[in-house]
Amino acid sequence: MTRQLVVTWIVLLAAVTAAWGLAAAMLPLPDYYLPPPTAVLAALGDLVAKGILPDYVAESVRRIVLAAVLGLVVGVPLGLILGMSRRVADFFYPLLNFFQSVSGVAWLPLMLVWFGFGERTILMAVNYTVLFPVIFNALLGVRSVPRLYVNALRTLGASPWRVARDVLVPGALPSIATGMRLGLAYGWRALIAAEMLVGANGLGFMIFNAQNFHLTARIMLGMGIIGVLWVALDYFLLRPLEEATVARWGLVQR
Amino acid sequence: MTALGRVLRGAVPFAVLVAAWAAVTGAGLVSALFLPTPSAVAWSLWELARDGSLWMNIAASLGRVLLGLVAGVPLAVGLGVLVALNRRLAPLVEPVVGFFNALSGIAWLPLAMTWFGLGWTSVTFIMFNTIFFLVFFNTLVGVRTVPRIFEQAVRTMGGSRRHVILQVLLPGALPSIVTGIRMSIGFGWRALIAAEMIATSTGLGFLIFNAANFPQSDTILVGIITIGVLWLLTDRLVLQPIERRTIERWGLVSTAP
Repeated sequence: MTRQLVVTWIVLLAAVTAAWGLAAAMLPLPDYYLPPPTAVLAALGDLVAKGILPDYVAESVRRIVLAAVLGLVVGVPLGLILGMSRRVADFFYPLLNFFQSVSGVAWLPLMLVWFGFGERTILMAVNYTVLFPVIFNALLGVRSVPRLYVNALRTLGASPWRVARDVLVPGALPSIATGMRLGLAYGWRALIAAEMLVGANGLGFMIFNAQNFHLTARIMLGMGIIGVLWVALDYFLLRPLEEATVARWGLVQR
Repeated sequence: MTALGRVLRGAVPFAVLVAAWAAVTGAGLVSALFLPTPSAVAWSLWELARDGSLWMNIAASLGRVLLGLVAGVPLAVGLGVLVALNRRLAPLVEPVVGFFNALSGIAWLPLAMTWFGLGWTSVTFIMFNTIFFLVFFNTLVGVRTVPRIFEQAVRTMGGSRRHVILQVLLPGALPSIVTGIRMSIGFGWRALIAAEMIATSTGLGFLIFNAANFPQSDTILVGIITIGVLWLLTDRLVLQPIERRTIERWGLVSTAP
């Protein structure tokens, strides 16, 4: 199965590259509209050799991983705690919903006024974008656990702590996984946007800056890396999280 | 509880928030530049509404959303169904589209600017491609997961290919498609705001980014609140009812809010 997948991918890659090269050569457009695949590869070699690309990739990855860790360590517990009381949950639900729908990027202008053009502004925007879906979904997850289970455990004499640990948290896990996935999806995109607007480094900055100089091969290279990094994030961060919790315990997915 | 009652109850947390906001700014804990008072923001809202610039920017942003939808959804659904019908092509196209999905949105902006320059074309393109790839992917997956037995049943009864598409595949893929549309508007709206900050001079994104130059914090907050309210209204009044009237009403699997 895996071998078939690899062969499929190689064939696909070859076909796409060939079609692309052909289009680049034949279309009557200026060079910088559609550089051929070779130009993109050349840009890759060039930027790696200069050390720019590894640096930019490291910056972007660092920021998103930081946001992911913050989401897990702060967002999930906060959402769980807020969800435990019906009244508190009902109070915060509309607020969280509203703030979640305003992406961190929309807050950027205000953060620029507060912190200026710097690392802090980017981090605040990205962390905000990741945190709210996580908190919101954790809260929803706790609220969606059937009362029956809570009551069952309390009938057996469990303390609120045991109820939280053995029923509420596991029951909220599918929602938490959804929240992390959504938060990181929004957050990764917000990061690219923030780096375009604010940064002096990172992948967003790289492709935006390249546009100024019509270095389209660099733009395409950057875009490809952005896509690959998301796939990697999904594979190395989100999937293990979901597998270690939701899938392993046989909880309903989505 | 009546609908009005529910709205009022939903407004209570916001009333508390505004009260806290007024208290913080009134106590002089933060400078007016950082966080203007609620009344300053309300005044700014009134000014912007009165001179029309708020409505113009809202119309610009929403217009781009609509354009992206009108162009993107039919194309994506049509292509998705076509590709899904071809059993050799579908497994090859799916990962490619999945990859482009991961790439969608603001990452396309520099390329779009190279091709189309500054202005509404680039920005609408961002909206379009976010919607297109996500809906395409969801349509593809949705059609492919329709159990073959339904198609075979219709064929057994003498149905043509057209019957299969219209009466089996499309309804069967509908939950996936509708979810895709809803999600893509969510992603697209965010990408749109970001793109408007960079590449054009109208729209809500431009409004708030431009205001940062002066800096007019109250205008920024008006813009932020408008963005949030618009999304909530769209989701509550347009997207959720569509979901309810199609996939939930027909007893197909419904998705969590």
